[in-house]
Amino acid sequence: MADRRPLRGPGINTFQIDAARKVHARTVQARIPQAAASAASERFISPSPPTTSAVRRLVPRHVCNSPNNPPCASCGTMIVPSPAATLPLQDCPSMTINNWTISTRKKPILNSQELEDWENNKLKGLTLPEMIFGNSYVRIENTLHGWTLEFNALDALKQVKLADCGIRVSYSKKWMDSKQQKQAQRSSSPTEFEVDDSSLKIAHHYDWTYTTRYRGTEESKDQRYKFTRDDTQQLPLDKLSRPDHILFYDDMILFEDELADNGISILNVKIRVMDERLLLLNRFFLRVDDVLLRVIDTRVCVEFDENKVMREYKEMEGDYKSLLANHRISHSHDPKAALRDSNWVAQHAPVVSREYETLNFD
Amino acid sequence: MELDKCLELLYRGQLLPEVTVRALCFKLKEMLVRESNVVHISTPVTVVGDIHGQFHDLMEIFHIGGPAPDTNYLFLGDYVDRGLYSVETIILLVALKLRYPRRIHLLRGNHESRQITQSYGFYTECLNKYGDGSKVWHHLTDLFDYLVLCCIIDDELFCVHGGLSPNVQTIDQIKIIDRFREIPHDGAMADLVWSDPEELNTDSIGHREEFYRESSQQFQVSPRGAGYTFGRCVVEKFLHTNDMSRIYRAHQLCNEGYQVYFDGLVTTVWSAPNYCYRCGNKASILELYSTNEFYFNVFEEAPENKLLNDNVNLLVTNSKAIADYFDDNVSEPPQQENAETDIFSDAYQARSASSRRVEYFL
Repeated sequence: MADRRPLRGPGINTFQIDAARKVHARTVQARIPQAAASAASERFISPSPPTTSAVRRLVPRHVCNSPNNPPCASCGTMIVPSPAATLPLQDCPSMTINNWTISTRKKPILNSQELEDWENNKLKGLTLPEMIFGNSYVRIENTLHGWTLEFNALDALKQVKLADCGIRVSYSKKWMDSKQQKQAQRSSSPTEFEVDDSSLKIAHHYDWTYTTRYRGTEESKDQRYKFTRDDTQQLPLDKLSRPDHILFYDDMILFEDELADNGISILNVKIRVMDERLLLLNRFFLRVDDVLLRVIDTRVCVEFDENKVMREYKEMEGDYKSLLANHRISHSHDPKAALRDSNWVAQHAPVVSREYETLNFD
Repeated sequence: MELDKCLELLYRGQLLPEVTVRALCFKLKEMLVRESNVVHISTPVTVVGDIHGQFHDLMEIFHIGGPAPDTNYLFLGDYVDRGLYSVETIILLVALKLRYPRRIHLLRGNHESRQITQSYGFYTECLNKYGDGSKVWHHLTDLFDYLVLCCIIDDELFCVHGGLSPNVQTIDQIKIIDRFREIPHDGAMADLVWSDPEELNTDSIGHREEFYRESSQQFQVSPRGAGYTFGRCVVEKFLHTNDMSRIYRAHQLCNEGYQVYFDGLVTTVWSAPNYCYRCGNKASILELYSTNEFYFNVFEEAPENKLLNDNVNLLVTNSKAIADYFDDNVSEPPQQENAETDIFSDAYQARSASSRRVEYFL
């Protein structure tokens, strides 16, 4: 390491280099979660390898593609992308196992220019949800066969229907009725500013719940690589529920809307990569208070050794009141809390449809 | 307890005893019951939009906008829910209003309501911080019924949380609303805190173009089946009828901290940076020097946001680890950096990293 005396003559001051290095090292190190961080700092002190390596595979076969993330090949910790994701480093965590490359990107919500572009060009006719993380994505790529599966907000929102979804908020009928009554009363003495009859009909229809049956965006150079459907099969749950070491983990929201405080509509995608396989869960969760709950899950599992991709698509939907009643039996304190939890809803709402597909590369 | 003593505690982010909260609410109700639904104030004044329990960002606002009572503040509502410190935020504002009644003005937002706060976090937060048996939530939500609905600056600028209502053509119609109640789903009071402007770009319309252009200028029923959006004509007519020049409102998230509609006739002010701790958006406060001189003071998330319960031990351990890692300066004492604001510090980054769970989801 450079000594602390300032250099004479032109060039970068060693202090600056030192400071920059320090900042980088700290940023990287800080991304290791707390428990791991203390282990990691021990390692920094003593150059000898840590003793708790028995569980780990002897020769790690994965490669971490981003220098900004913890070097997991040597330290055994997982890649957790930077929580801040903005300053000053570009955060595009990525890793490679065999011919599979997994990368994610997390960015802030769209700014007003981007929003305008989406509204006027990319997603014409849709009133956009409140928060769109339009520059974030999760991408799974088979570099050998040029096949990609990506999850992003734009493609998800393209599947939102531009027609009436038939769902209304709980107090809609009352609201409409009272408007109609008032109109009937006032028709004899019209005042300016009044909403006329026609405008009580909803003029601009789109699916305001933002329900999307998005299963990811596929791109393939070779037309042979298509999913084949076979609903009889199942994801390898036994293997997936094993506590294999997680090498890479990310969790992000693609879009979210609070439905003017009538519930929530949210699309979330998370991924965990283990040594032998990965699991991705793309979940759409909708709660319209006092009306209904809906969960649409797309799970993708890749077996790296078999070069096999499995995709399961599942729709669950339940009536708000019956699900709430179901919950009241088990808890009583904050009964609505469970209805905010998409996991609970996914387990308790009836399954409406399910599809299963596989794709084999050889 | 003395009001100044309360303020001192509150500024430090401490909670007041339940009896004190009760007394403050009672006092403020006494004061507000005498106020009209529409208060008239004059410039200079700083307008603040949604805060949503982001206490540290409120501190930041006082930092960049000037402390009370040196700066006059008008808050447009939505003090609670979603953020982690709704209780601290609202009680501080209550105390400030009591202490400087002519310098601080608080409007009512749609989240200042019993029903909404039960679903979006404030209710749960009150129970967590004051215990299951406490009445703090009741005291505060009862107080919310007394908050005023609108504010007029220099007889020219109309300020409201949400927007306009078809039931409101003149300011006098607002003055006769019975506001001392829970926010209803229907009617002028609901619209004032709920409705949104909708600006439709005329080239983006496509089919039914003519009809659309017509109706988009007026009040439109939301596809949710309740509530309105309002167009340019409505705004122009309202401003003309009441001899006003502009409308300032909050209620909608915008990435840049403010959003201008209809060539400046309506402006949204948003004051919760990095909303819900994940949107990465900017926030702003609007500094009005006179009716035609104004400045949007844009700011980002306060770095303290994630550091309220700072763990000193952790910080010491980590800076030692860094010092050891860079063994060249091991003889020097670890540099004492400002832990509060150093976003590169291990403590800061690790805390936010560890708050991101890595889970074995299935």
